[in-house]
Amino acid sequence: MFKFFTSSQSSDLNIVAIWMFLIFVAVTLYITFWAAKKTQSTSNFFTAGGNITGFQNGLAISGDFMSAASFLGISGLVFLSGFDGLIYSIGFLVGWPIILLLIAEPLRNLGKYGFSDVVSFRLDEKPVRILSAFGSLSTVILYLIAQMVGAGKLIEILFGLPYITAEIIVGILMILYVTFGGMLATTWVQIIKAILLLSGATLIAFLVLNQFDFNLNNFFNEAVIIHNSGSGIMAPGGLISDPISAISLGLALMFGTAGLPHILMRFFTVSDAKQARRSVAFATGFIGYFYILTFIIGFGAIILVSNDPAYLSSSGQILGNNNMAAIHLAHAVGGNVLLGFISAVAFATILAVVSGLTLAGASAISHDLYANVIHKGANDKSQMIVSKYATIGLGFMAILLGIIFEEQNVAFMVGLAFAIAASTNFPILFLSIYWKRITTRGVIIGGSAGLISCILLVILGPIVWVDILNNIKAIFPYKYPALFSMTITFFGIWFFSITDNTTQAKKERALFDSQYFRAQTGFNKERKVNH
Amino acid sequence: MVNENLFNKLIRKKKLIIRPLLFFTIIPYLTFICIIAFYPKYFGAMLFNSSVSIGIILGLMLIIIIWIITLLYVYLANKHIEPIINKINNV
Repeated sequence: MFKFFTSSQSSDLNIVAIWMFLIFVAVTLYITFWAAKKTQSTSNFFTAGGNITGFQNGLAISGDFMSAASFLGISGLVFLSGFDGLIYSIGFLVGWPIILLLIAEPLRNLGKYGFSDVVSFRLDEKPVRILSAFGSLSTVILYLIAQMVGAGKLIEILFGLPYITAEIIVGILMILYVTFGGMLATTWVQIIKAILLLSGATLIAFLVLNQFDFNLNNFFNEAVIIHNSGSGIMAPGGLISDPISAISLGLALMFGTAGLPHILMRFFTVSDAKQARRSVAFATGFIGYFYILTFIIGFGAIILVSNDPAYLSSSGQILGNNNMAAIHLAHAVGGNVLLGFISAVAFATILAVVSGLTLAGASAISHDLYANVIHKGANDKSQMIVSKYATIGLGFMAILLGIIFEEQNVAFMVGLAFAIAASTNFPILFLSIYWKRITTRGVIIGGSAGLISCILLVILGPIVWVDILNNIKAIFPYKYPALFSMTITFFGIWFFSITDNTTQAKKERALFDSQYFRAQTGFNKERKVNH
Repeated sequence: MVNENLFNKLIRKKKLIIRPLLFFTIIPYLTFICIIAFYPKYFGAMLFNSSVSIGIILGLMLIIIIWIITLLYVYLANKHIEPIINKINNV
C-alpha cells in the first residue's frame, strides 16, 4: 500500500488543509453524481446542456484562467522581481477584450462544441479538423504537463504526500469528474474553486494591506527597502531582455488566450451570444481583480516572508521555491488555518483546471477526430463512449507525463502552449470568421507552418536548447517565438489562399456571405443543432 | 429585402462600436509593451516623490481600461446591437 498520509518531507501535517480538501472532494463528487444523471448525450457532455448563465460561465472561465500555476507563479514572479509579474498579468488580461470583440459571438453562433466547428464551417472538414485537433491537443497536453508537475510538487510540499501518490490522486479525481459529470460537473467544480480562490486571495491581500493601514505608499516603500534589487522592483527587470522578446511575449499572451481550446469551449455552455458576451465581461472583472490581488500578495511576500527565518532555508533561500511565496505569506498573516485553507484551495484549483483541459482534449479526440474524420456519421451514443474513453486515456497519460517530467523544468510549457494557441488556433479561427478569401489550402499550409515553426523555434531557443539540452549557444536567439511564428501563419494562410483558384476554393468563398450572416446574427441556429 | 437592410445596419453599428474599442485595447497595450521594450528605465521613475512607480500606476490603469472596455461593449451591444439581431431573427 502507498504511504498515503505519511509525510515524505515535512512532519507537521496540516490538519486544516486535509479536512478542507476532503470536504472539497466530497462536495465535488456529490456534484459529479448529480451531474451524471443529466449528462446522457454528447451535447450535454461537452456543453452542460447549454444552460449555464453568463455569470456562472464568467466565474468558470475565470476559474480556468486562475490556475495554481498562475496564482502561485505570478505571485512568485512578483516576489522575485516585482514589476515583471505585472507584464504577465496584463498580457493574460488583454486577451479578454480581444475574445469579446472579435471571437465570442461568432464562435457561439457558428459552433457546436469547439472552435474547430467554426473553422470547418465552409472549409473541407476533414483536413481542417485534423489540424484543429492537433492545435488543440498540443496546447492542452503542454498545459496539462505543466499543471500536473506543478501539482505534484505543490502537494508534496503542502500535504507531505509522495509525488507519485499526488499525481495519481489528481489524475483519478479528474477522470471521475469528467467521465461521469462531463462539462456540467467540470463547470461547477470550476465555479466553486473560483469562489474559494478569490476569497482566499482577497483575505491574504486584505490582511497584508491591513498591516500598512492600507497606505500603498508605505507598503511599496517597505518592499523597496527590503528587496535586494531595491527600487529595481518597481521597474521592468530581467524578464525581458530585448525589444523583440517583449513584443513577441506580448503578442503570445494577447492572442494566445483567444486560441485556448479549454477556454473557447466554455462559450458553448451558455444559451446564446448575449450570454457569451456577459460571460466575458464577468470573467474579465474577476481575472483582473485576481491579478491585482496576486500583485499585492507578491509584494506582501517580499515584506513579510523574505526576511523571516521561519520561511528560509539555512542558506537564506525561500523554502520550496519562489512559487511558494503566496503559501508562506498565507501562514505569515493567517497562521496555520489560513495556510491550510490556501493549500486546500491550491489543490482544488489544480483539480479543476486539469479537468477543464482534459475535457477540451476529449472533445478534440471524439468530436473532431472520431466523429468527423475516422468514423464520419458516428451516432451520438458511440461518440459519447469515445469521449469517455478519451477522457480516461488523457487522464492516465497526464499521470504518466506528470511522472516522466518530474525533474524537468516545465515552466516554459505554458508559454509554449500560449505561443501555439496564438500561432495556430487563433489565426485560423479569426481568419475563417472574417476573411472571405480564405481557403482550405491556405488554412492547412499556414496553420501547420505556424504550429511547426512555433515548436521548432522553442526547441532551438535558449530555454530548451541551452537550459535543458545543455548546448552552449541557442540557434534561435529569442525565448518567445510568437512574433515569428504568427507572422509565418498569417503570411502562409494569406499567400496560399489568394493563389488558390480551384473549384473547391471558389465554392468555399461563395459560402462566406451566409456564414458571415449567421456568425453575426445567430440566425439558423436551430437547424444547425438538429442537423 | 428587409433582412438585408437590417443586416447592413447591424454590421455598420457593430463596426462603429467594435473598431474604437479594439483600438483602445491594442494601442495602450502595445505602447505599454514598447515602453518596457525600449525605455524600461522610464517606468521605474517614481510618481511625485512617492514609492509608487509610473510603470505600476500605468499597469493598474491598463487593467482598469480593460475592465471599462468590456463593460462598455456589453452595454453598447445590449443597447444597440441586440435589438437589431432580435429583429432579424424574428423576420
